[in-house]
Amino acid sequence: MFFKKKDRGIREAGWDRTLITGVVGMVYFAPVFWIILNAFKTRQDGLATPPKLFFTPSMDNFFNVFYRITDAGDHVATGMGLYFFNSIFAAGAGVLLALVIGTLAAYGFSRYPLRGNDTYLFVILTTRMLPPIVVIIPIFLMFRVTGLSGSYIGIILLYAMFNLAFSVWMMKSFFDELSTDVEDAARLDGINEIKVFFKICIPQLTAGLAATAVFALILTWNEFLFALLLTGNDTRTVPVAMARAMGGQLGVDYGLLSAIITLFLIPVFVVTYMLQNHLLRGVTFGTVKK
Amino acid sequence: MTALHVQGLVKHFDNVRAVDGLDMDVADGEFFALLGPSASGKTTTLRTICGIEQADAGNIFLDGKDMTTAQVRDRGVAMVFQTFALYPHLSIFDNLAFPLREQKLSRADIATRVGEIAEMLRLTHTLDRKPGTASGGEQQRIAIGRALVRRPKLLLLDEPLTNLDAKLRHDTRAEFKRLHREHGMTIVYATPDELEALSLGQRIGIMNEGRMVQVGTVDEVYDSPVNPFVAAQVGSPRMNLISAVRQGSDENPVIELPFADVSGGPWAHALKAFPVGAEVLFGIRPHDLSTDQSADVGPKFIGTVHLTEPLGDIVILDLVANGTQFKLVLPEEQAVRYGVGDELPLTFGLSNTHVFAKETGIAIR
Repeated sequence: MFFKKKDRGIREAGWDRTLITGVVGMVYFAPVFWIILNAFKTRQDGLATPPKLFFTPSMDNFFNVFYRITDAGDHVATGMGLYFFNSIFAAGAGVLLALVIGTLAAYGFSRYPLRGNDTYLFVILTTRMLPPIVVIIPIFLMFRVTGLSGSYIGIILLYAMFNLAFSVWMMKSFFDELSTDVEDAARLDGINEIKVFFKICIPQLTAGLAATAVFALILTWNEFLFALLLTGNDTRTVPVAMARAMGGQLGVDYGLLSAIITLFLIPVFVVTYMLQNHLLRGVTFGTVKK
Repeated sequence: MTALHVQGLVKHFDNVRAVDGLDMDVADGEFFALLGPSASGKTTTLRTICGIEQADAGNIFLDGKDMTTAQVRDRGVAMVFQTFALYPHLSIFDNLAFPLREQKLSRADIATRVGEIAEMLRLTHTLDRKPGTASGGEQQRIAIGRALVRRPKLLLLDEPLTNLDAKLRHDTRAEFKRLHREHGMTIVYATPDELEALSLGQRIGIMNEGRMVQVGTVDEVYDSPVNPFVAAQVGSPRMNLISAVRQGSDENPVIELPFADVSGGPWAHALKAFPVGAEVLFGIRPHDLSTDQSADVGPKFIGTVHLTEPLGDIVILDLVANGTQFKLVLPEEQAVRYGVGDELPLTFGLSNTHVFAKETGIAIR
């Protein structure tokens, strides 16, 4: 799916190698496949041994994700809709913020290097070297003191910070690849520095921006620990809600969990699919001889 | 009228002096070639003239106005980069229209001007495409078109042919000549290739280590190089420079070459100022050596063939005479007679010989 372009001079693999690759791929995909199938099974089908490949699909689990039926027979919302919105909003806004700040910073690091530029970049990278569990206590205390704990702005800022190091490094490497002659040519054509950035550099980097956004989104979308400790009832994200759904009095409801996970997969899949052309297209290819 | 006047230009990069006190003048409508090896400061000079780089010292005058610190867009200078530097994300039409859009021209005017330029450079059929799909020659013409479309007063060309193949290089050279003749604009053309410089430049400036070494017409730099560097830069194959010693009397100087003694050349008078025993470099071009000893013009000596380089209609012979190596160019039909190890009778006329002081490199004449 990701590499449609045929490189001339490189031969396609034969059936034998393609088959081996396919089998290995299936091994990796098997858990995902099991989860998606499980989401459509009733409780009995889901727990059957050996697992059933053929069964009558049911949408009950998906219904249960969003509604609970009380003893009186009323439908009560579970709040999962809100949690999905929270996940999308927190990850989306956090990544967007990280991308905006990260791209500007990367442009600065690439085009206007400071004395000791590499040291600064290294320091930025170190913010991602510590495992989250180590920094969570000071961050938790800071959030308590500032009142950011449990608010949207808090988790969005945290996710922006969480992705900043990565976006700066990624975007800097993309900026470094661009020919500065092109920017100089634009300056000669009479445009100012702001336009050089927006009209010359950024349009050449849509592929880089898309790649950075996808990686950051996937990381943030799956983030659990910060969300567990720093979101409140109203700002809870799906991974946290998922963990809560696991511990019921009647044991783990695998069908319900699978349905949540299946729904949880969709946004990442859609975003990656939409950006796949950007991820592939080398817009700058062949215009500058080096 | 001087279109460009550069005075004492200095530009550093960290500890490197890329341009080191450069002076140059380019007349209105002149095609000026800037010749020098790589890293001699040609590109930095051009970048400072157009304002991408700021001069550390010295002044730049355009049409008599001091533009040393002026904004890039106020200078009216266009430049074609060695890498072409096209905008990869814009169509070829938009590449050509880019400078005009920045000048806030109307849509109709832009379409007309881009149309004219595309017509002139044979790009009309490519306008909708992205530059990445264009051939090397087309990319080159787009780069030139983008520079010409805003009708600059001064056009700077930075090694514009370096990235083209040999055949295309030849055709494009002719194209430059045509463009210059038809538009009559002032052009500064930087190149490491003497053939380009000699064939295109009305005057040639030879640069070395950030300085202008010599400026002159093709004949001037070819016939009277000011030092061994210029002598070696201009002319192919390069001038033979042979270590020699000034001998003879104070009034009648003789140059003692390893294989012959010569006296009475155009340098004879100036050489009197040098003491007997002074070391000099004796220069003679491979074309000026002759195998015809009947003409009684200069010293006669014998050279042994060491190597032959056939180039089609001419052959370059590497010769050794008394331990000194030098080159000789012969027409193919004469050279077929000689193989490695053969001995040749040789002579040369004194009028085309050059003498340089060994220590300072200054031409003695």
